[in-house]
Amino acid sequence: MQLKKKQWWVPYAFLALPLIMYAIWVIIPVFRTFAFSFTDWDGVNPDYKFIGLQNFKDLIEDYVFFDALKNNFKWIIMFIILPVPLGLGMAMLLDIKLPGHKIFKTLIFLPMTLSFVVIGQVWAWIYDPRFGALNTTLEAIGLGSLTQAWLSNPNIVTFSLIGAAVWRQIPYMMILFLAGLKNVNQSHVEAALVDGANSFQRFWYVILPALRPSMIIAFTVSVIDSLRAFDIVYVMTGGGPFNSSTVLANYMYIEAFNNYRMGFGSAIAVIQFLITFGFIVIYVNHNLKKEKEM
Amino acid sequence: MLFLKKVILAVLVCVFVISGFASRIIVNSYMSDPAPRQTFTELVKMFEEQNPGYEVVVNTFAHEDFKTLLRTWLGSRNAPDVVTWFAGERMRYFASRDLLAPIDEIFTNGFGNEFPEAFKSASYYQDKAYFVPQSWYWWGMYYNTEVFEELGLKVPVTWDEFIDVCETLKVNGYIPITIGTRYLWTTGGWFDYLNMRVNGLEFHEEFTAGKVAWTDPRIRKVFEYWGQLVNNGYFLENHSSYDWQTAANDLFSGRAGMYLMGQFIKDVAPDNVKDKLDFFRFPVIDPNIGLYEDTPIDGFMVPANARNKEGAMKFMEFIASQNAQQYFAEELGRLAAHRNVPAVDDHAQDGLNMILESDGVMQFYDRDTDPQMADRGMNAFVEFMMFPDRLDRILQTLERERQRIFR
Repeated sequence: MQLKKKQWWVPYAFLALPLIMYAIWVIIPVFRTFAFSFTDWDGVNPDYKFIGLQNFKDLIEDYVFFDALKNNFKWIIMFIILPVPLGLGMAMLLDIKLPGHKIFKTLIFLPMTLSFVVIGQVWAWIYDPRFGALNTTLEAIGLGSLTQAWLSNPNIVTFSLIGAAVWRQIPYMMILFLAGLKNVNQSHVEAALVDGANSFQRFWYVILPALRPSMIIAFTVSVIDSLRAFDIVYVMTGGGPFNSSTVLANYMYIEAFNNYRMGFGSAIAVIQFLITFGFIVIYVNHNLKKEKEM
Repeated sequence: MLFLKKVILAVLVCVFVISGFASRIIVNSYMSDPAPRQTFTELVKMFEEQNPGYEVVVNTFAHEDFKTLLRTWLGSRNAPDVVTWFAGERMRYFASRDLLAPIDEIFTNGFGNEFPEAFKSASYYQDKAYFVPQSWYWWGMYYNTEVFEELGLKVPVTWDEFIDVCETLKVNGYIPITIGTRYLWTTGGWFDYLNMRVNGLEFHEEFTAGKVAWTDPRIRKVFEYWGQLVNNGYFLENHSSYDWQTAANDLFSGRAGMYLMGQFIKDVAPDNVKDKLDFFRFPVIDPNIGLYEDTPIDGFMVPANARNKEGAMKFMEFIASQNAQQYFAEELGRLAAHRNVPAVDDHAQDGLNMILESDGVMQFYDRDTDPQMADRGMNAFVEFMMFPDRLDRILQTLERERQRIFR
């Protein structure tokens, strides 16, 4: 749509206010955090020194940092493997419009209306080793041998936390895919049916490619959400036991705000930013290229 | 019409002027538990009645959040006028960075006239006062008297007697010692007491100041005693799943026998349980070493950037007064810092007696040492309590951290 030359400024005028707010609250603080990561600021004292890459050197020698990285990696993998296919599966099921599908959609959607703090607190009760719903149910149905110290066992605590987060993420994916499915061209699906494709082939060769834009969003959002995970970790375990469930966001928070190491915390934030940025760039680029090819 | 506008304008001006007369004092408090919060509200009302022309606004924050928000307030140009906080190293951290206003002017007869000399070093920095102590409390081994009666247990005085009590509790199906370590500080209490009992106060002070190595054999000895409790399974299982209040439920309901905790455990005990709780001094390990206890001191301080310093000082004077101190202590069963306030009930008198018979006090592990070291230390304590075999590796890692933090 060509705008008259007199009105070329109209889009910029509309964008100006949100862009300014975005710049003040997001862009500028990002650059300031980058700057702080090269200092030894404790977050309190107005005086601080430039110390170059010392914070990053300290990070490389920090065992808690590597524990956090490993845990973030677990979060990313699990967030890619579980919510996306499960969300898609639920969306496909609910798209069939069986009787009661609206009720199911609402019920499955409910976790998304809860704040992470509430989700964390309730799941902490569910995971309580003695009185929590999970262990008592397992024992009641004769699977007592499977009971665990869900939040105490350092080997499984991160997976317990991820479980609570995935419970909330699945409805998010489901909504995304339900919207994406509406954009699938039904005539293509019918043409495939006429050509003799079975339901799996229709799904794999017609529906799934048509869902590509939704897939991009789903994966990007999942990766970002997994790297952002803070509330659930902070509320359910505080990063413990002894930092075995800590993630970068949690570690950054504790170091910056509890331990008076704002410069060091900024360095952790920079690392987290670079990881997130890397994922997004690679994935979006790859898919944009594929879209252009199509 | 013009006349009406003038009337409205005059009324508005009057309203603004009158409301401007009430000097506003902003107090940020971490007393988020219901009992202290209520009492503090009543205290504020007393102040406003005695000092018309002052309006006090109290902002209450969840206890843990307050600790991280405080540094943003102190650094900002719009700081609150008065804040609650802890004495000792925690206060000195801010005083040494010029973020607090000295308050010597409110002690017209001198600090020592109103408060114990022992509290002076915890309230001063470089000979200036920055902190008004309001209440302090003691830590002790709280126990369920009904459980002890049922098993015919006597209060243990020595470490060996204490181990016997633990064993009896365990054999009879009770949890000997409950503890919630999801939020780490409960382990700090155990470390403090074991170190003070095994190595004494001067050593503990040096250690928290970062002058002694974690790999020192004297520290290792502390963990040996701790290990006795861990290896015999005397602690609550999966304690890292629980916060301290959830773990306290075991003590209240009689599932557990003991809990090393501060006096404030009574604040959260249900009414019908309060009378079943009593405490004893942490058992003696070495009879040649003095009796030292943790007595964290809570109080108030004034940010350097407070807008209403004059109002702040007035409020601080009130808080330091005997009446205010007595009211707060009586309502909550705590000990007032003011020397002229008598102990409020038998429980408080017992606590006071225990401290009067002690040879010295510390504030508490995470108040006495550098915050980073405290964080690494307490995480390590939890790891030790879950995996005592990792002690060597734990101590070596902590020692590396100490050298980095105190370099």
